[in-house]
Amino acid sequence: MNASLITLELCVIALGTALLLADFWVPAERKKYLAYAAIAALTGLLVISFSGQGVCSLGGSAFHGSFVNDALAVFFKRLFLTAAILVLFVVLQFSSRVPGAISEYYSLVLFALAGMLFAASANDFPMLFVSIELITITFYVLTSFQRSKIASLEAGVKYLILGALSSSFMIFGIALIWGTTGKLNFNDLAAVAPQFATSKLFVLGVLLVLSGLGFKIAAFPFQIWAPDVYQGAPTPTTAFLAIGSKAAGFVLLLRFLFTAVPCLTTHWSSLLIIISCITILYGNLCALPQRNLKRLLAYSSISHAGYLLLGVAALNTAGIAAILYYFAGYLFTVLAAFTVIAIVFKNLESEEISGLAGLSQRSPFLAASMTFAMVSLAGIPPLAGFFGKFLLLKAVIAQGAATHDHGYYWLAAITLVGVVISMYYYFGVVRAIYWSRETADLTPIELDGPAKVSLALCVAGIFWLGLFPNTILDLANEAAKSLGV
Amino acid sequence: MKLEALPWIILFLPLLSAAVITLFTLRCRTLSSLISIGAIVAGFILTVCFIGANGFHPAVTETATSWLSIDTLHVDFGLKLDALSLMMMLIVTGVGGAIHIYSFGYMHEDRSMARFFAFLSLFTFSMLGIVLANNFLQMFIFWELVGVSSYLLIGFWFEKPSAGDAAKKAFITNRLGDFGFLFGILMVWGVLGTLNFGEISAQFLTNPVALGGCATLAGLLIFCGTLGKSAQFPLHVWLADAMEGPTPVSALIHAATMVAAGVYMLCRTFVLFNAEALHVISYVGGFTALLAALIAVQQNDIKRILAYSTLSQLGYMVMAVGLTGPTPAMFHLTTHAFFKALLFLGAGSVIHALHEEQDIWKMGALKQKMPITFYTFLFGTLALCGVPIFSGFYSKDSILGLALEQKNFLLFGVAVFVAALTTFYMFRLFFVAFVGNPRTEKAKHAHESPAVMSFPLIALAVLAVAGGFIGVVNVYNSQFKPNAESLSIIQQILEPIHAPVGLACGLGAVVVGFLAAFSLYKNAATDPLPAKLGPLATAMKNRFYFDEIYEATFIRAHDAIAWVAWFVDRWILEGVVIGGVRGGTDIFGRGLRLLQSGNLQWYAFMFVTGVAVVLYWVLVFGK
Repeated sequence: MNASLITLELCVIALGTALLLADFWVPAERKKYLAYAAIAALTGLLVISFSGQGVCSLGGSAFHGSFVNDALAVFFKRLFLTAAILVLFVVLQFSSRVPGAISEYYSLVLFALAGMLFAASANDFPMLFVSIELITITFYVLTSFQRSKIASLEAGVKYLILGALSSSFMIFGIALIWGTTGKLNFNDLAAVAPQFATSKLFVLGVLLVLSGLGFKIAAFPFQIWAPDVYQGAPTPTTAFLAIGSKAAGFVLLLRFLFTAVPCLTTHWSSLLIIISCITILYGNLCALPQRNLKRLLAYSSISHAGYLLLGVAALNTAGIAAILYYFAGYLFTVLAAFTVIAIVFKNLESEEISGLAGLSQRSPFLAASMTFAMVSLAGIPPLAGFFGKFLLLKAVIAQGAATHDHGYYWLAAITLVGVVISMYYYFGVVRAIYWSRETADLTPIELDGPAKVSLALCVAGIFWLGLFPNTILDLANEAAKSLGV
Repeated sequence: MKLEALPWIILFLPLLSAAVITLFTLRCRTLSSLISIGAIVAGFILTVCFIGANGFHPAVTETATSWLSIDTLHVDFGLKLDALSLMMMLIVTGVGGAIHIYSFGYMHEDRSMARFFAFLSLFTFSMLGIVLANNFLQMFIFWELVGVSSYLLIGFWFEKPSAGDAAKKAFITNRLGDFGFLFGILMVWGVLGTLNFGEISAQFLTNPVALGGCATLAGLLIFCGTLGKSAQFPLHVWLADAMEGPTPVSALIHAATMVAAGVYMLCRTFVLFNAEALHVISYVGGFTALLAALIAVQQNDIKRILAYSTLSQLGYMVMAVGLTGPTPAMFHLTTHAFFKALLFLGAGSVIHALHEEQDIWKMGALKQKMPITFYTFLFGTLALCGVPIFSGFYSKDSILGLALEQKNFLLFGVAVFVAALTTFYMFRLFFVAFVGNPRTEKAKHAHESPAVMSFPLIALAVLAVAGGFIGVVNVYNSQFKPNAESLSIIQQILEPIHAPVGLACGLGAVVVGFLAAFSLYKNAATDPLPAKLGPLATAMKNRFYFDEIYEATFIRAHDAIAWVAWFVDRWILEGVVIGGVRGGTDIFGRGLRLLQSGNLQWYAFMFVTGVAVVLYWVLVFGK
């Protein structure tokens, strides 16, 4: 028993509670200082996690092995902390649209973060389920936070019902696994799973758990909720869904597949390849005709789930490291895009792409940031997105060469096709920014200090990861090794 | 070897000059021209210093640094320093320097003078690069650079459509030849495994048939480079049009140096050519000499006459190489550089004085008004015709002697006939343009050019007179015939007597040509020749319709192929293939969008269906 391992999570929960309480005393016009305080506190935790001191540096497990703090968990915890910090910056830009309730928004972001931090360490089914529910239930509220806006409420209800559906499938799967094997801990399960590999009930249980996780990461065929929810949710929520919720889904997926049931996973390469291929094509093809920026990014996020599944399908350490690296780049890229969206569409009803017209004159910095984000998403060197895709493809092709499985080459080819298709709609956004002929509102956009800081951080991150990949890549490799594939 | 760094400095000074002018001083006309003139004059002085210190045969003939190394391909960036290259450096920097100085006067009115001098410097750099290259690849790169600078200079007055067209024509025609040249280089590398001239020569020294069965083909492919650069038939068509460039450019590039690069390259790589290849080369040269001389007879533009005369003389040089005589070829190249540069500069002086008038029938009686131009042009004419004592006499005589020595009487006859034609058309030009009565107002009011233009004329005139016996031939002999003894000046002057038949025929040709020109054109008001020759004169005047024939065949065929390629690209690739893929993808995307109806029950149904499909795939299908 080593309860001190969960210090980080406790700190975040305490911070969220403190913000809720502080809301009673802080006058409305000073509420933004609550966000600054939260950002400062999270930054402090992030710095501590890198300093080699304190909780993040402690290895080992707690609560009878249900909570592990290995390199993989630490990598994702840092990722979640960074994401939450940048999301809080987006919330600051968004605060004018939810007057009176903004501190609850801050707290909810922190509670969702706590769920993600637990997910990063979850090593048995109860912890997996509880952390997922902590994330998801918080997101139900975050999604429908703009109570005055019907689209937001609709998105919240859809997410709630479909999320409940997927949770019920997952809990049913967990029950089946427990019923057949009598194990809940992943390590214990891994020891007995080979005996049950032929048991249909056991396999059914594993597949149902996978469906639930597939729902979280929005992989085909469980992606159906994503576009409506992304579009309707408040922009900071969408940003946090796109990076935080998806990354939490992936860390659970990795642990489940490679720690709990590796004996089944190694036989499922073709299933993973097919899911990956269809997810990539579905996301990219559906994004083509989109006119709404957030909906476009929703489909784009589905396609990126497909790219990330390349790393899972590769079934090797290089693939997992590539996933981690890809998430680091995706974090900065997506948050740059959503920060720009939050600022540009502050006073507009919906997030149509045409609203970006004239942005290059209204604010060259926003225009450049959005362009870098789109170019990085499209995977063009020297930005972060390129290097991530390169690592994923490399892992898949290496696995193809090692196993002589032609499916991997097909997967690589389909990925490239998807990337080519995606250029069309990503550059459509860039075109709207710089070359739109529509006569648009050309009033300059004033950026406040926090917006400049967060955008500069994101753009710097996009370039840093693309140009100097070694630091993060070393961390990712180390984290990937802890899964012992 | 002393002063080892000098050749590198000489090579890179003009590049530095071009860079400085382009980047910094493009707005300062005079400063730019002085930088460029300074670079080439310094190059000349340093070349003289280097030769003074090392002689024409430095102890080390190569100085190189490794440039690239891929697998078995090792290429140096190096300089070859022997009699051949050092003499060429003298010509390029010396004659080039005179022309640079002349240009200062000639281009003074032009508002783009700085750009002009930047291009001239770039050209000088490229030309020196060809001369000094110690391997084929480096030579090819500078070869192309020379092509580029020639393109830039021919099209210098790019606002004139004819200049733009001429520049394109020159560049594209040259590229055709270079294509073959490149193949030849690749073939040599493929068989011999090296591109270095020294190593190639060494291989041939131990094994005279080192190229084996490819020898003839490789030789002819390399000769393609000469076809383009030295404007030999059938790629001769660009040179006359290149006269659209400013006259100093015609003098420097299209008479004295660049067009000689083809001949220089043949001499540099002389060991590569076997008897069959040389046979073809000699006949191509002889035919070009004859063809160009015939065309020159009926041209009326002063620069075009000189251009065809250049073609004809280049034909002589190529023929000499083909007759296994690199020494006479290089000798003629050298004297030709002197007198042809002089003639072009003289023509430029006339054109300048007559306000851009180039038609010889609109000139006349320039002796009193432009005495320096008149006499220097006369000396240049005498040298070109091959009148004894003048430089052209010696070099041309050595080629005639060579043809006799090789017992090739057909080419000897051609050479003698061309010599007669040369004298005829040059004195036609001289009588019409400089003697007789002024035919236009412009000619009446002509005046001598400024000193900055006259000085180079005089300097080149001295060389045109004396170039035949100041030891040029000794330098080349020391390169190609190491056993030959060095001749004193008296011996050089009397050298032609050793081949009396050639001498007699050559002199006879000059006399015949002169008498014909004298009788026809002394005080002629119009050209009497068309009436006498009829259709032949028309054909000559129209350059034997080569441009029209090429237009009707090659260019038509090329346009047809281009149209087909365009059609395939536009309609089949872009329309059907790309458009089909794009349209198909788009429609597919729109179709998928229908799944996303927004209906929650439908979404839940989709989700459950998805789960069912995965379960079916793994549990039932997967078994």
